[in-house]
Amino acid sequence: MALRIVTDSASDLPASLAEQLNVTVVPAYVILDDVSYRDGVDITQDEFFNRLIGAARLPTTSQPTAADFEAVYRELLEQGHQVLSIHVSAKLSGTLNSAIQAKSALGEDQPIEIIDSQLASIPVGLLVMDAAGRADTADSLTELASYAGSRIGRHNGFFALDTLEYLAKGGRIGKAASFLGSILSVKPILSLSEGEVHPLERPRTMARALNRLIELVSQEGQLDRLAVIYSTGEEAAQRLRHTLAGMDLAEEVILARFGPALGAHVGPNAVGVAFSSSAGDGG
Amino acid sequence: MTIPNFTSFSAQDLVEAFSAACHRLDEHRDAVNALNVFPVPDGDTGTNMLLTLRDAVGKTAENSGLDLEGVPGFAAQFADGAFWGARGNSGVILSQFIAGFCAALKESQACTAGELAKAFEGGRESAYHSVSNPVEGTMLTVLGAMAPAAAQLIDGGEKNPLALWEAAFQAGLDALESTPELLPVLKEVGVVDAGGLGVVVIVGAVLDHLAGSDRLDAAVEKFEAAAPEPQALASLNTAAGPEHAGWGFCIQFVIQGQGLDPEAIRQTFGESESLSAVVAGTERQVRVHVHSEDPEPIMAQCRALGELHQVSIQDMDEQNVDMVGQAESRAGSQLEIALVAVAAGDGLEKLFENTGCAAVISGGQTMNPSVQQVLDSAEATRASSVIVLPNNGNVVSAAEQAASRDPRLHVVPSKSIPQGIAAVLAFSPATSLEDNLDNMTRAISEVVSIEVTTAVRDTTIEGRPVRQGQCISLTDGELTAVEDTPEESLYSALGKAGIGPGSLITFYLGQQANPQDAADLAVRIQENMPEAEVDTVYGGQPHYQYLVSVE
Repeated sequence: MALRIVTDSASDLPASLAEQLNVTVVPAYVILDDVSYRDGVDITQDEFFNRLIGAARLPTTSQPTAADFEAVYRELLEQGHQVLSIHVSAKLSGTLNSAIQAKSALGEDQPIEIIDSQLASIPVGLLVMDAAGRADTADSLTELASYAGSRIGRHNGFFALDTLEYLAKGGRIGKAASFLGSILSVKPILSLSEGEVHPLERPRTMARALNRLIELVSQEGQLDRLAVIYSTGEEAAQRLRHTLAGMDLAEEVILARFGPALGAHVGPNAVGVAFSSSAGDGG
Repeated sequence: MTIPNFTSFSAQDLVEAFSAACHRLDEHRDAVNALNVFPVPDGDTGTNMLLTLRDAVGKTAENSGLDLEGVPGFAAQFADGAFWGARGNSGVILSQFIAGFCAALKESQACTAGELAKAFEGGRESAYHSVSNPVEGTMLTVLGAMAPAAAQLIDGGEKNPLALWEAAFQAGLDALESTPELLPVLKEVGVVDAGGLGVVVIVGAVLDHLAGSDRLDAAVEKFEAAAPEPQALASLNTAAGPEHAGWGFCIQFVIQGQGLDPEAIRQTFGESESLSAVVAGTERQVRVHVHSEDPEPIMAQCRALGELHQVSIQDMDEQNVDMVGQAESRAGSQLEIALVAVAAGDGLEKLFENTGCAAVISGGQTMNPSVQQVLDSAEATRASSVIVLPNNGNVVSAAEQAASRDPRLHVVPSKSIPQGIAAVLAFSPATSLEDNLDNMTRAISEVVSIEVTTAVRDTTIEGRPVRQGQCISLTDGELTAVEDTPEESLYSALGKAGIGPGSLITFYLGQQANPQDAADLAVRIQENMPEAEVDTVYGGQPHYQYLVSVE
């Protein structure tokens, strides 16, 4: 028997890391020109962004179904595992709901704990890494779940957009519209805190936006985990990763990629940073 | 309690004291608004009184550089300012009190205790006369209570005008406390009269200023604390709504003519169907504020008497609906920090609004807005803190003056439009005021501003001869290029501006800029400075063909 972690593809956890950590990633669906693809299975990120840039209609994503989760849970349970399932914020997606339905279909007494990460994208991925790191040493599923829950507040992320076009197309600007404006070109920095996207700053050039991302991260002090995430434009992301690695803020700097869920809204050439702070770590 | 001894008040004493009263009334304005349940609960009594008093004080301040010719000069200016500034019912009644008060002072060289007692009495009479159906339990009761208290001290041989003022304040306060007993609607809601509170605030503020005391706030605290929740007001309105035929229209205007008789005009309204009427003025000008179901007959009647000015007709049922709506949305609607920018040009004004400014004051190089305009625009945002962006070197001091008068105002001293835009973009509603001020001030230093304009005459700038018609570029205020066309001039200035990889050049095209020439210039820059990006935006500003930022 072992404790196993399940997440969904909106966590943007790189596949290699998921494999290494024994994490099962349940794919969400991407709908492009009325055809549905399993995120990361039927369509790669490169294919997705290539088609996003040319698409007349913005691609959409839909959460994994309850049946998808049920199948994954059933298989793990049959292998004698207990399951901690960590998902993208319920404020942003119906994924959590599918997971909960799957659990009730299997019976409430099954050893499955489901956590609303209140996060999106790679911050979820980093939280999953926290939990996976404890899976072998935790005494019980309950203990592991409460550990993961206690880590949520430490995760945070910021990203800079090259264009507002996709956010606007997707109707996700909402209240931020008056702040972001439309007459001037800006490279807005958004925060991914508390499960919602908040506009934070409006630098006018990408160079300045990337400098601000570095400043925002370095204000956080010592970090447990640090990741750079991008949509397209790997070169700029690698440069940012290199700079951050040289600052010795965390043991390693993970490179991740926006999946379709957020990718469709941030658009091409978006770059972000995600991290968890180690300040006040009692565990 | 001992108070300083005055033999008389000088014009200067009065100007300063009423100016202080303006600020104190501003501080209490929301409290006064919140108490406004009579005659129509539209929550604007405090604002109307403040605007009226502010214009009265403004009129005297306008002439402060000149000799006010003592107390009579002050009295004439103060009354005139109040008359023209009067807004709303409470404002008109206040202005009429001021008119009577000042009329009594017009003859006296100094405002002694005896003169002051006459002034309070003059104010009382004038205020009561301005209303066709005086209602007790309103601000009239408070305005009327002061004169007898002052007269009583005179009868006792008092010579210190400040002692009279103190007695008037106390009497006004007592009268204010009695208003719920006199007016049932106040008792029902459990409040004192809003206009009455406004009067007490003004009188108390003058007392505090002259006596160096601090009595006002403590004295009115309990009345202000009783303000009903907006919900309660809304339900009061709704309750009154269905049975009531409607509040009708609020009609305001000034008649200018010859041989006008305010008394006769007032009586006409008293006999007609108007719900309430305030008529005040002189033979040459009369201000009318009437509530009626039908504005037209009233307007026609008054047009026959003279020319109508400052005509304002508002549907009070809509005001009432607004108030009910506000009760629902008020909590979320008030801005914590608002931005106010100064800009000239339709494109720039729109740009500042589009990037999040709550207000844009039209002005700049050749139209410097006044301190008052800055204060008014800031006021209109209704925000707890206001950050002002002057966007021109000539406007910075007016903005700073305004900030020195109102502690809610803060100035980020932007000296050009590009600096102002950089500052606005550095603003974040999620950040504290202090951090925003830091970030915005820093943003100003990170942008290079280039202004391109045409020399209007032959001149020498920084040792360089410039012929009339030549196009000059100023980079952060320093002359950097003199050429025959604006585009050549700008291109030359940009060559010296340290353009590097990742630089962003933004053109704000002026009224006189040719869009085709601008597009050609942008292409030329892209060809010769490929590492830079060019963003072209319509500014519509006068005088400058181009305002340019490099960042």
